[in-house]
Amino acid sequence: MAQRACFILAAFRPSPVPRGWAVSLRRSSTAHLLLFSITLVACRPAPSASGHRVFVDDAGDTVLLAASAHRVVSLSPATTELLFAIGAGDRVAGRTRWCDYPAEALAVADVGDAMPPNVEAVLARHPDLVLLYRSPQNAAAAARFRAVGIPAIQLSNDRLSDVPRTARLLGPLVERAEAAESLAIAFERDLTAATVSDTSSPNRPSLLLLPWDQPPIAIGGGSFQSELVTRAGGRNIFADLAVPSGTVSIEAILSRDPDFLLVNDSVVPGLARRPEWQVVPAVRARRFLLLRNGAFGRPSPRAPQVLRELRALIDSAQR
Amino acid sequence: MRRLWLGLGLLTAGSVIAGLALGAVPLEPGAVARALFDANAVEASIVRELRLPRVLLGFLVGGSLAVCGAVLQALIRNPLADPYLLGLSGGAALGAVLVIALGLTAPWALPMAAFAGASAALFLVYRLSLVEGRRMDAHVLMLAGVVVSSFTGALVGAILSLASAAQLRNAFLWMLGGLGGASWPSLLILATYTVVPLGLLLRHARDFDLLALGDETARHLGANPERLKRLAFITTGILTAAAVAQCGMIGFVGLIIPHAIRRVAGPLHTVLLPASFLLGGAFLVIADALARSVASPLELPVGVVTALVGVPLFAILLRRTLR
Repeated sequence: MAQRACFILAAFRPSPVPRGWAVSLRRSSTAHLLLFSITLVACRPAPSASGHRVFVDDAGDTVLLAASAHRVVSLSPATTELLFAIGAGDRVAGRTRWCDYPAEALAVADVGDAMPPNVEAVLARHPDLVLLYRSPQNAAAAARFRAVGIPAIQLSNDRLSDVPRTARLLGPLVERAEAAESLAIAFERDLTAATVSDTSSPNRPSLLLLPWDQPPIAIGGGSFQSELVTRAGGRNIFADLAVPSGTVSIEAILSRDPDFLLVNDSVVPGLARRPEWQVVPAVRARRFLLLRNGAFGRPSPRAPQVLRELRALIDSAQR
Repeated sequence: MRRLWLGLGLLTAGSVIAGLALGAVPLEPGAVARALFDANAVEASIVRELRLPRVLLGFLVGGSLAVCGAVLQALIRNPLADPYLLGLSGGAALGAVLVIALGLTAPWALPMAAFAGASAALFLVYRLSLVEGRRMDAHVLMLAGVVVSSFTGALVGAILSLASAAQLRNAFLWMLGGLGGASWPSLLILATYTVVPLGLLLRHARDFDLLALGDETARHLGANPERLKRLAFITTGILTAAAVAQCGMIGFVGLIIPHAIRRVAGPLHTVLLPASFLLGGAFLVIADALARSVASPLELPVGVVTALVGVPLFAILLRRTLR
């Protein structure tokens, strides 16, 4: 069985070259030793003579993968969407219940939640590769998949640059390297084309990105949504926060006095009528920007399209 | 005794000043005063619309929780009793989580559902605690609170495990508790629910001393323990339900403040109840001021601060008074 042949070298997290590496080296051949020096430098999948490749995932775990994967269980909506976008949708053998794009993905077997996943439900799909979102909550599940001989990799998907990066990582694993490369190039080109010429203009409108209001949660500079706002010609009032999101006080919002609130349908109706919010001028004046595109919720190949919508929204609001 | 009231008075004044001056935008005391007396001052909207209602709401909630804790500790004769023991918080959480999971967005939907949930739990616990349909047994009351709590907790868990990641986070944040939703209308609503129960409890303060001696002895000394227990249960229930509905669950205040006062001023309820109200209120206001300002512009959950600040203080008090 091909999946049994996958030999997991180290399930621990090597931050640069800890003990784990030495142990793995002793167990592997000279060919692998050579490969290690390559992966240490490039941190990219590289095919070996036997057709296997050594892969260092975003959690720092080293995994030995088969030359290509045919039954992939994707435990993140972003990777599911990406696999379909590079023409590898027929290799997706399982998805989470949150993977709702593209429509074809809904036909794939649903294995339930993702953080952490239901290990049994995933194994029932007989995967030869499991993709997880990189999170401490998923580390134990990744180790369990590897313990039964199924390669599992964790991938970060937090910034816009993660879309072309993960496309290039995944493409070779599902024999779609060329499609992945052209998607990555097109993504970077379209994103640049949709970005305003001056992303640091002093006159750009300031925005509060508010996904929830009881208590107020603001999107910080650590989120790709903040990147999108900057590229659309806006300024996130909480861009100085390194976290993707955090609880803030209405007072902090008032003191930063946003021109607009970028919100969704679940926030606006209640917020507009709640008394404590009326001190914020943008709320009093009902300066809400409503972005209904579901792709705004995750970094995906559709980001350039979202960016164009957001830019149009900001432009029309300013007029 | 005069020193106790003087100390509590100063603490109350200090907490209000700190609550008005600290926050995401630090203000000088002079600027606070200007804002209070001049509606056109730059800081007026921050101080008048955000901080003042928040400080008053925090004081009322902290004070109410501390009084509830003191009364319930007497009622159940258990030093570990706190306002959430009655199972109301579980009912409130169930109401709130349902609103979040169903995506209801009306402005008062969340506090109203939480209050309805808490009231339903209160009624259920009350029915369960009446032995033979008439007499209220303190131990049965405690057990009823615990089982209702477990049951609502299980329902909340079931709903949340089927909810989306965003709903899960929103519900979790609500349950952590906080005073962020404070406004003049919300303060007014809380005040209408709390003034009468607080007044009733303070009026019957002396009777709780008798209750501590046991039901029989209390009856011989002229109290009506059955009536008193029902009164205590219903008033603390209403106070807790109102507080939870507005602010979520804020731990520690209701459990520890009464003990701190007993350490300093003894167990008599005529002192314990009003002193607990002042200390609980001042403590929560100070904790909230810290929660708003230490990691600004991010806000810490106030329950985190009450325990982080309160536990070391209480430990020192324990060591001092044991000597």
